[in-house]
Amino acid sequence: MSEEVLLRVSNIDVFYGGAQALWDVSLEVRSGEIVALAGSNGAGKSTLLKTISGVIHPAKGSIEFAGMNITKLNAYDIVAQGISQVPEGRRLFPEMTVFQNLAIGSYNGKARAKREENLTRVYELFPVLKERKDQLAKTLSGGEQQMVAIGRGLMSNPRLILIDEMSLGLSPLIVCDLFRVLHAIRARGITVLLVEQNVWQSLHEADRAYIIETGRIVLSGNALELCEEEEVREAYFGV
Amino acid sequence: METLADLASPIAIGVLLGGLYVVIALGLSLVFGVMKVINVAHGDLVILGSYFAYVTSTSWGLDPILSLVVGIPLFFVMGIFIEKFLVHRAFRMSVDAALIIAFGISLIIQNAAQLVWTPLSRGLMTSYTLESLKIGDVYLPVVYLVDFAMALVVVLAVHQFLKRTYLGQAITAASQDSETAQLMGINPARVYQIAFGIAMALAAIAGVSLALTFPFTPKSGVPFLIIAFGVIILGGLGSMVGTFIGGMIFGLSQTLGGHFLGPTGQLLVPFVMVLVVLTIRPQGLFGR
Ligand SMILES: Nc1ncnc2c1ncn2[C@@H]1O[C@H](COP(=O)(O)OP(=O)(O)O)[C@@H](O)[C@H]1O
Ligand SMILES: [Mg+2]
Repeated sequence: MSEEVLLRVSNIDVFYGGAQALWDVSLEVRSGEIVALAGSNGAGKSTLLKTISGVIHPAKGSIEFAGMNITKLNAYDIVAQGISQVPEGRRLFPEMTVFQNLAIGSYNGKARAKREENLTRVYELFPVLKERKDQLAKTLSGGEQQMVAIGRGLMSNPRLILIDEMSLGLSPLIVCDLFRVLHAIRARGITVLLVEQNVWQSLHEADRAYIIETGRIVLSGNALELCEEEEVREAYFGV
Repeated sequence: METLADLASPIAIGVLLGGLYVVIALGLSLVFGVMKVINVAHGDLVILGSYFAYVTSTSWGLDPILSLVVGIPLFFVMGIFIEKFLVHRAFRMSVDAALIIAFGISLIIQNAAQLVWTPLSRGLMTSYTLESLKIGDVYLPVVYLVDFAMALVVVLAVHQFLKRTYLGQAITAASQDSETAQLMGINPARVYQIAFGIAMALAAIAGVSLALTFPFTPKSGVPFLIIAFGVIILGGLGSMVGTFIGGMIFGLSQTLGGHFLGPTGQLLVPFVMVLVVLTIRPQGLFGR
């Protein structure tokens, strides 16, 4: 774990209008890691991911990616820097085909050049998507939609992929498959920051984890060690 | 006794006329699709296109269709500027504010056109204005055939652009989910400008079509805007096929309405159809 820090979020405060959603949040992701951000509904997980990807901007604090300050960049410029977000609820373009959804993922200039290469990789990871490439996204099952969402995220040729609530509403079997894919993605050198309500599962899949409660990071550390922590066991596993 | 042969003419004319409506409606639909702004100035922009053809043909002797070589890029760039400097500021506040700006643009164009070209009715006279093609017993005015041919070209071109190019797919994606489009690296502000630019280029084409077919005044944009609404409601928003069929249905019901009920039935019938569709199938015949 001596790898370089790829993403460094430092002491950010985030507001929605007058309502504060994040308080003094800091977090680090190193190259090649799978990091989990876990916490209950409304804790601020999506808010943090949206702030990293530039959809919203922090009132205070900074965000650095690969040594560059991206705090004030717009979402559409951050993608080209190498951060890709797979949003909560998949958010596919419903009236576009599977192929079109994947292809639009490579909209940024750097990714366009690598489109065919990345498309081949995505179809390798999710062979079923190749079979369904001409089907409208809205006609897919939940699991397939999540595959398209992840595939679309990979098409932008990211160094870091942010995945929000990947397993929500999916059967355990499919979730298990998707986690296997995440490990394959990481094996290809892509760093993963994943957000889950399911603390137990995310702690078992990640190298390191952060636990967030009502807009504040309350615990962080090695994922398996966190599993053993008294506080975590009491608060999240009920034992 | 009514025979099928008597109906052949209104049917043919209705379909061809529908082509003009399709081109007008496409621009309105494109901007609404991405910005959710009803560009109430669209009819007036079309009439501006008609005056452009009028000026180039009367002052420079250019054929109106040929003048589009200049008209399309000129209107495209104008559209980008109008969006960027007039519409967008208001749009950032709210869709309603943008609507009011569009109203303003509409009034300015109408009044400026009255100043420059007077309120008098104008029309385009070309070598083919009075020509007809005789097919069976039906006379088809050449200008109506031109309207339909332009509609076909425009629909195919816009369809291919939206489907096959990155920019077209960006417009499509942004109109389905603009926040997620940003996560793809798409700058929505740029998409709005391009969509507005294309809508203006379509207005230039529609303007030429209209000026070849009907006399027009500075106020003619309003009825055509309302017809374009009707076409979009009939076909369903966001569907190219829908807009095309909607235009045909509108044109057909107009000419058939005129045929059976006389001139007063011309617009009554299509708008009754619009109301029926709104009631039974609010998303339009081909809407999602
Ligand atoms: N668009 C928004 N406007 C106002 N408040 C919001 C918005 N999105 C989220 N919030 C609030 O911010 C807090 C954190 O929400 P969120 O980040 O979505 O939580 P999580 O993803 O952990 O479930 C919640 O209190 C939520 O109500
Ligand atoms: Mg969330």
